[in-house]
Amino acid sequence: MAEHLFIISIILFAAGSLFALCFYGWQRVGNYISLIFAAIASCFGIATAVVVLSGGSPVHIDFHLLLPIIKYNFLLDPLSAYFILTISVISFVACIYSLGYINLYVGKRDIRFLGFIYNLFLLSMLLVVSANNAFVFMIVWELMTFLSYFLVIFEHENKENRKAGLMYIIMAHIGSGLLAIAFFIMFTYAGSFSFDDFRQVASQIPAVYKNIIFFLVLVGFGIKAGIFPLHLWLPMAHPAAPSNVSMIMSGVMIKTAIYGFIRFYFEFVTPCPPWWGVIILIFGAGSALLGILYALQERDIKTMLAYSSVENIGIILIGIGLSMIFRSYNLMALSSLAMIAGLYHLINHAVFKCLLFGCAGNIYYSTHTKNIEELGGLIKRLQVTAPLFLVAALSISAIPPLNGFMSEWLIFQSLLNGFNIPSVLIKIETIICGAVVALTGALVATCFIRAFGISFLALPRTEHAKHAKEVPVIMYVSMGLLAGLCVFMGIFPAKIMMTVNHVSSHLVGINIIKSITAYDWMQARMVQTNFTGLSPKSATVFGLMLLAITFGALTAIRPGFVRKFYETWTCGISPDPRLEYTGTAFSRPFAVIFKSVLRPKLDVAKVYSVPNFFVKSMTYVGEISSIFESYLYTPVSNFVLKASDRVRWIHTGNIHVYLAYIFVTLIILIMFFR
Amino acid sequence: MDLASKIVLPLLQLIVIVGLAPLVKGFINKIEARLQNRRGASIFQPYYNIVKLLRKDAVVSETASWIFRATPYVTFISILIIALLVPVLSSAVPANFTGDVILIIYLFALGRFFLALSSLDTGSAFGGMGGMREMMVSTMAEPALMLSVFTVSLATGSTNLGHITSTIVDQSTILLNPSLFLAFAALAIVIIAEAGRIPVDNPFTHLELTMIHEGMILEFSGRYLALIEWASSMKILLLLTILVNTFLPWGIASEMTFPAMLISFALYVVKIGFFAFLIVILEMSFAKLRIFRVPNLLGTALILSILAIISLYVVG
Repeated sequence: MAEHLFIISIILFAAGSLFALCFYGWQRVGNYISLIFAAIASCFGIATAVVVLSGGSPVHIDFHLLLPIIKYNFLLDPLSAYFILTISVISFVACIYSLGYINLYVGKRDIRFLGFIYNLFLLSMLLVVSANNAFVFMIVWELMTFLSYFLVIFEHENKENRKAGLMYIIMAHIGSGLLAIAFFIMFTYAGSFSFDDFRQVASQIPAVYKNIIFFLVLVGFGIKAGIFPLHLWLPMAHPAAPSNVSMIMSGVMIKTAIYGFIRFYFEFVTPCPPWWGVIILIFGAGSALLGILYALQERDIKTMLAYSSVENIGIILIGIGLSMIFRSYNLMALSSLAMIAGLYHLINHAVFKCLLFGCAGNIYYSTHTKNIEELGGLIKRLQVTAPLFLVAALSISAIPPLNGFMSEWLIFQSLLNGFNIPSVLIKIETIICGAVVALTGALVATCFIRAFGISFLALPRTEHAKHAKEVPVIMYVSMGLLAGLCVFMGIFPAKIMMTVNHVSSHLVGINIIKSITAYDWMQARMVQTNFTGLSPKSATVFGLMLLAITFGALTAIRPGFVRKFYETWTCGISPDPRLEYTGTAFSRPFAVIFKSVLRPKLDVAKVYSVPNFFVKSMTYVGEISSIFESYLYTPVSNFVLKASDRVRWIHTGNIHVYLAYIFVTLIILIMFFR
Repeated sequence: MDLASKIVLPLLQLIVIVGLAPLVKGFINKIEARLQNRRGASIFQPYYNIVKLLRKDAVVSETASWIFRATPYVTFISILIIALLVPVLSSAVPANFTGDVILIIYLFALGRFFLALSSLDTGSAFGGMGGMREMMVSTMAEPALMLSVFTVSLATGSTNLGHITSTIVDQSTILLNPSLFLAFAALAIVIIAEAGRIPVDNPFTHLELTMIHEGMILEFSGRYLALIEWASSMKILLLLTILVNTFLPWGIASEMTFPAMLISFALYVVKIGFFAFLIVILEMSFAKLRIFRVPNLLGTALILSILAIISLYVVG
């Protein structure tokens, strides 16, 4: 059953991508057809995942194509199915959204290519999370990287975009190279590239090689996930891509790296020593805090969202790392709890980040700017986008009763359970992580208050914002689905947790669903841990009841309540957008408080009409510098450039010399591998 | 617990919190005035203000959107839900299953989120300034708040406030743990900051350079202002209640009998009065901190709470 659905999904994606190429004259039609195919394919993807997750046993799918020596093995186990579910839900919405968003490009450029690459990109992600062979994995992984690269440089006339694309492709390939090494080390012990064999050999690999694999995988997948300090490409590439692509890249593509982490650390190189988990925890906490600090200072709304993805990857990694630590101390139930927390946050982040990028896309669609300082007053112009953005902002800020809160709550519960760990040092670290998550949560709220408040509220700051019009219906209808999911997954967490539990019980080997859900005296299903219980459903019901009572009471006190509308009092002058607080000013205190990390630079230049007394004009240039860029990346790239400059002399351009090189290499190889 | 008490007790809690909150504010103002050799307004003045405001129409800025009009309700309701979750008169909180202290912290964040948004909504510079400062203070307070709560949770084995209270009533020796002293100190600093009192914020000022909370709510009027003022006084009372019933829970009713509840109520009033008096003393003896000194104060709270946890783990 599952394999048929999966294959239908693959065929539909492939067919859709070809349809996009077929129509030269009616590019819009071609794209519509291909996007609808992709949407249907995503539905089949969802169906595949549902079949596997609803208790079906893992399904092996083997193809024999092209070269007989390579086996195209795929496996649909609960972990794959969970990621297929996430990817398919997001790609379904993104395809519907794209039906409207491509209007931005129709007639301006050749969009056949967009539809073609888009479908293949979605397909490649599905294959990445289902590949069951290192060889196949590397092929589809590279495919995913290349296809997303082409989507990043879609608007290639812009120099910034080309630079972002180059940065992305270079970093992604460093990562792929490291992964290839890790796979080869595994291969030398397993004797084949099949993941099935990888699962068996863990006990034969010496500890040293295991540690090497750990670091190779950490950096290799870490680059794709965008953890600090390997995040550099992420805030460049995600904003460069069209919004319907950023939705996918930020929503799900970076999650494939999390998939890689889980596959390796929970299946291939087990059992892991505690310090692996500690390292993951440290990277997670660091990414969470630094990611949001940079996001808070960002004026470009898409770059801000990209940094916030770094932050959320950090939170997910805290869950995964904690799960690893518990597992290495044999605390399986807790390991499962932490895994559920991490995976729950993963799907939550996919949903609300996709929604946020959709809103950013809507803003760009209607105002042609991504700079929040040029916006304002959009709530009266984009009347549907505004509440959607608000729901996503509340979710990502972990405000109850939306979904972000549920996963954050589970993360806190898992961190609190760190007291079960025998090592005092790790115990203290989990608690420091708790402080970091709390601080991060508050910073996220500030960040999204700023994003929503500056771009949607008060008066429009520019003409673009003033004349913004709501986007086509299809765009906000698709986003409405995501907003609905945000609410649903927040109020009914038990359903999601039962799904996630399939994955964690498959990985950790213990089913804890009985102990984490319970029924309260109102017979509503609630979530519980050893510390306490939580029932968001009841909280919501109480809230609505209290709202009704309050409203009734207020109406009883003053039945003819009237609101009068006047302009805001601004000390005698009429309200003007220049009086409004700016995004830069709103986040300025945090630049001051965290100045040791953010290194804010300020240049204030004054022009005087009367020297030293009357200022005629003032220019203010504020900038945040990235310490990683200046202390880590610049030295390395300078070194590489210098080193390549040194060895340039071997490139003479003379073909005889090159033939000589080949000959010498051949002789050396023959000498060694005779 | 039978069904009747499951319905009566939450109502009682709501009535106590909603009813007493303005009185606490009036009490603080009155004592403060007396200590400054003023006669001060009546202790019931906050009630008069609320009643007056509720009877009035509201003036709303033309710039503002529906966010501005929804904010008072969201803030008020989020505080009311918290009032159901905190043990007030009895350690048995019927709505316990709904959520724990983490939910409470994030419900406070819900109200703050909307208040900060509506501060930007009217397009006045004061609002944005107030909202920005409020977010700054609460953000810096958050880790210390979470860690001091965690200390108590780890010592008692629960994050549920009702369970925490009943555990501490049953085994009072937990309170002798030095880590709880540190957690208490940290929580006290955070509560001063969250409640918007001197030395972090001055609730009596309307000068642009000093105001935080007042700057945020400058544009509200009528019913909206009444709801927000009421919610902010309930917030102070709830924060004090959490402090009192976590660290000094003695006398709280453990069974649902009339005398037990009466004693519990009397002791509750005395305890809250005592802490309100401490706030007044604090306000009288300190000047307001410069805004960029506040993170240092909250950093102190964070260090205290980290020490609390470490000592809990190391000392046991």
